Amino acid sequence: MNPSPASTNAPRSPGLWQLAWRRLLEDRIAVVSMVVVGLFVALTVASSLNWIARNWNEEIAVGYAPPAFTGKQAVADNSPDTTAKPALTTDPYPGRVRDPLATELAELRGQSAAPHGQAAEPPMEINGIRIVDPIAKEFAEALAAADAMATAPRATSLIFGADKWGHDVLKKLIKGSETSILVGLCAALVATLIGTLLGAVSGYFGGWIDDFCNWFYSIFTAIPYLLLILTIAAVLNQKGVTTIILILGLTGWTGIFRLVRAEYIKHRSREYVQAADAIGASHARRMFVHIFPNVSHISLVQLSVHTVGFIKSEVILSFLGFGVPVDKVSWGSMLGEAQNELILGYWWQLAAATAAMALLVTAFSMFTDALRDALDPKIK
Amino acid sequence: MSETQDCLLSVRDLKVSFRIDKHTTFEALKGVSFDIPRETTVALVGESGSGKSVSSLAMLGLLPKESALIDPVSRILYNGRDLLRCSAAEMRDLRGKDISMIFQDPMSSLNPVFTVGAQVEETLRLHLDLNRKAARQRTIELFDEVGIPEPHKRVDVYPHQLSGGQQQRVMIAMAIACEPKLLIADEPTTALDVTIQQQIIELVAQLRRRHGMAVLWISHDLAVVGEIADQVVVMRHGEIREAGPAQQIFEAPHDAYTRALIQCRPPLDHRPKRLAVIDDFIGNELVMASTVEQATRGIAPDEPPILEVKGLCKDFEFREGLFGKRVLHAVKDVSFSLPQGKTLGLVGESGSGKSTVGLTLMRLHKASKGEVFYRGKNLLAMSAREQMPYKRNIQIIFQNPYASLNPRFVVGDILKEPMCLHGIGQDDREREQLALEMLYRVGLPPLSLRKYPHEFSGGQRQRIAIARALSMRPDVLICDESVSALDVSVQAQVLNLLQDLQAEFALSYIFISHDLAVVKYISDQIMVMNAGEVVEVADSDAIYDNPQHPYTRKLIGAIPRGWQPGAPE
Amino acid sequence: MSAFILRRLWQMIPTLLGVILLVFFLFNFVGGDPAYLLAGKIANPEQIANIRRQLGIDQPYYVQLWLFIRQVLTGDFGVSWSTNEPVATIFASRIGPSLIVLVPMMLIETVLSIVIALAVAYVRGSLTDRSIMIACTVAMSVSLLVYIIVGQYVLAYQLSWFPVQGWGDGFFENLFKYSALPILLGVIVGLAPNIRLYRTFVLDEIHQDYVRTARAKGLSDNAVMLKHVLRNALIPIITNLMIYLPGLLVGHFLIERFFSIPGIGREVILAVERSDFPVIKAITVYVALATMVVNLLADLLYKAVDPRVQLK
Repeated sequence: MNPSPASTNAPRSPGLWQLAWRRLLEDRIAVVSMVVVGLFVALTVASSLNWIARNWNEEIAVGYAPPAFTGKQAVADNSPDTTAKPALTTDPYPGRVRDPLATELAELRGQSAAPHGQAAEPPMEINGIRIVDPIAKEFAEALAAADAMATAPRATSLIFGADKWGHDVLKKLIKGSETSILVGLCAALVATLIGTLLGAVSGYFGGWIDDFCNWFYSIFTAIPYLLLILTIAAVLNQKGVTTIILILGLTGWTGIFRLVRAEYIKHRSREYVQAADAIGASHARRMFVHIFPNVSHISLVQLSVHTVGFIKSEVILSFLGFGVPVDKVSWGSMLGEAQNELILGYWWQLAAATAAMALLVTAFSMFTDALRDALDPKIK
Repeated sequence: MSETQDCLLSVRDLKVSFRIDKHTTFEALKGVSFDIPRETTVALVGESGSGKSVSSLAMLGLLPKESALIDPVSRILYNGRDLLRCSAAEMRDLRGKDISMIFQDPMSSLNPVFTVGAQVEETLRLHLDLNRKAARQRTIELFDEVGIPEPHKRVDVYPHQLSGGQQQRVMIAMAIACEPKLLIADEPTTALDVTIQQQIIELVAQLRRRHGMAVLWISHDLAVVGEIADQVVVMRHGEIREAGPAQQIFEAPHDAYTRALIQCRPPLDHRPKRLAVIDDFIGNELVMASTVEQATRGIAPDEPPILEVKGLCKDFEFREGLFGKRVLHAVKDVSFSLPQGKTLGLVGESGSGKSTVGLTLMRLHKASKGEVFYRGKNLLAMSAREQMPYKRNIQIIFQNPYASLNPRFVVGDILKEPMCLHGIGQDDREREQLALEMLYRVGLPPLSLRKYPHEFSGGQRQRIAIARALSMRPDVLICDESVSALDVSVQAQVLNLLQDLQAEFALSYIFISHDLAVVKYISDQIMVMNAGEVVEVADSDAIYDNPQHPYTRKLIGAIPRGWQPGAPE
Repeated sequence: MSAFILRRLWQMIPTLLGVILLVFFLFNFVGGDPAYLLAGKIANPEQIANIRRQLGIDQPYYVQLWLFIRQVLTGDFGVSWSTNEPVATIFASRIGPSLIVLVPMMLIETVLSIVIALAVAYVRGSLTDRSIMIACTVAMSVSLLVYIIVGQYVLAYQLSWFPVQGWGDGFFENLFKYSALPILLGVIVGLAPNIRLYRTFVLDEIHQDYVRTARAKGLSDNAVMLKHVLRNALIPIITNLMIYLPGLLVGHFLIERFFSIPGIGREVILAVERSDFPVIKAITVYVALATMVVNLLADLLYKAVDPRVQLK
């Protein structure tokens, strides 16, 4: 009297992940915040693929052009740099790009300093060595573009206004979001990966492995987090998005380590793990196939928590000048510029960066809270 | 009885539901009415989910405000006042003074950061307006009355420094401090060892008489209730099944469910082949013949052992002091042997080391010393690799059915995993077929294969755990408190299943439990453990009828006998 | 007890050694050759070699490590590369201003947070609770830079309620005149995360069984909250506070920088900006040491507030 294998075709019950997902979708706040975060991520993707905000670096408006909604207009002035860069006022070609090699080349040619910006000289020979201006062609193009820009009419107001040099604040905002989200997510991924792996090994095996990991942990927590970051920034002395991601990720794993380790210690003596031991499951199998799915929600929530935290840290680092290089925008570097603008009464860049960051971080935090509630393993 | 002035408290048509989420509510009480007469002990009996604790919390107005909804028709009359309509201030005056309560887990019910004395004094000063000195004096007297040794010293200790039994005595002292008219005891002995349970039952009965209180005793255990109750109210699924004097309930129960509850506890004086289960009484009135048919158990001296344990020791080490270590000898020199198809019962109170024996002999804990021979091979001397093929022969079923199944696996995967690891079955199809057979064998529908553990009840999960163990065709099955967390009616079903499987597969069991009645019922031989040592081993009937060791005698004396016909009161 | 303290002190040695190794690794392997940094752009090999000899970095690594350990043990980290002031002097003169700002800030912040957290937890689930929680989330999303920039601009620059920045010589002048705005802004920044955290601590306690017992005694809700719940919730609050204490010393560097307060935090920033390695090294090691000592104190305090804790 064997049961029929008809059940083989029966649908699988929804698992705990699926149930959590359904709970998440029922939560109105969670859905709204997911949409907001999703929009920001979409912006990031679009801008990193250069679909939007590609030419954020162009000076398309008058310096400090106010936001359109204020109804004000800046005085049209084609040399906005005069106040900002007094050193350049003597330059007869304000706002133009200068060839850094021009003087040296001219000397070599035995001429007096060439008139500004005369690039693409014909090749010449000195003592049989052919001398070519290596960047002549690129420089000529850049020069042409700069000239076109300098003479092009500039906007007197923009949606979110313009900065000192007349960059569009909206485009900077989008580029800034790209940097911040990229840094936040990647650093959080690195930190979560390290924290989870070390935590799992340490909590599961205990003994000397645990002692060793704890020693490592105690070193990293003995030095306050910000001090550690600044110290590393000081010795590295090189800027770049990858550098910040590594600094934040390699120092920020301690909290995740502690949580995951505690969870593994709790689970390794749970009866289902002992039962797995009893049926002959190996250590690796118990660690990853049995325990990991039961603690992975903690890693997920921590990933979310740390993304928010790292976005905030990146802003501070970039503000201080230890973060992104000068040719990149981040909300932090925008705040850094805005700090001086505010004294002059130009508040829009500050407001825009603050609002964008607050919107993303609020949505992300609320999403994290909802995620935590939805994944709450209290359900039996 | 129907006169209301005889009645201290009457519950009328109490309906309570809980909000679970936005869309669903759960109806915990569906219109419950009963009376508590003055100076009597009323027992509220029911299995988990029957609504017995909810009723008691409703009386004190302690239900969580944010989720509990009490129907407006409900009334709880205390001395003519409706407690459900009293103001918050009036209720505060009543609580602790007229009606007081003790709870299941005394450790968590006492505030860990205040001394026990301070917590009792707080009640006295609140309701009786005593000054600090008088309150302290009275507290010491109360501690003396509830049987706490050296009360003048004990008032200044923190809860964690007392044993469970003493903590519950503190709770009782706090509850009777203001001479309440009604004492509600919500499963007050469930978290305690049997010997302590007996003392608490006696203490409450004695205090009830001395102070002229009424007691509402809430319990799942009819045997305990039979010892203390004057009146019994039986509840199931938020409804009252039967209410009446204890004698009538125990000797002539009208309700089928009540009868089932009384029958499904393993009896102490005889051993039916099969325990009664609720289905025998409800729905189908035919009582199975096998519940009458008797079985005999015992081990003949010449039966060859399948498992032999010699001098097993397990020490736990704790770091202490600068370089010091403290060693706890959890298991000290335990030896026994187990013949095929027989059951060895392992009894002892918490901390006796009985569970550690089970875990150590199957190498879930590393033994400190000793040998475990399975069919003549010493398992403890093998390397992990050598032991692998032997792992399937000894399996274990744990206590907590909620923790022993991986919540992220579907039942099919839970059952197939051991087969994969041990190469049972050719391919996945065959393993699935075998898993289906296992499910069938433990009485679960084939559809279960695709479900997750959280979709099953406690009893069903324990069946899944049994199926997982059986899928490896073991010879020895260790049942570590395997039925202790289950309701009595479910317990009977699982015990029946275990006996059926034993007969079918000639399984040998090591049955570990604190519950002497269950162990006595299911075992051929019983080993009594205390503080890591074996104090007595004998055939189960012999040990029960003629205990040799004083500790065994104490344990057996503490088993609640239930209702004794013709007993005083 | 004393055995516990001894054991913990003993356990600090490997951690301190680890910190030393980490700092040594960072400065000697990750970072570039400091000689080039010091010598500037136009340096000839002789100058470089000279500087390397002065710094001792021409020695083998184990000798350098030993020199570093000796610096840690003697507390003599040499002189600052940029000001030539002895590092120990810098450290000693910077800690005072930091404490003048930090101590009142911590006290006000903690007391306020506990009071609000208790109140919010008491009305849990209500509209007030949810609004305050959402407000906290939003408040936490604004960068602390913005609080400081806008606060300084509006309250000091525009309204002139406070001095924009500065530091004096008198203790009271510093505390009431120059520290007032930094303290106010620090409290505002710290309030939202603390309220959220403490609220969860309080809620954890509210659901414990002993709260039910206290209510069953007939205690009023206020008595239950202020006596039974608060006393238990203080345990995680105090530990949390202690653990973050050393970090705060550095953590409020932004405030110190904006208001030109000559504290430790500002010193860190300056040192990092100038690549002043001796100062960074000293601060890192000292603060790590302070963290370890504070952790030990936290454990002892933990024992004092929680009778269940046994120091083994």
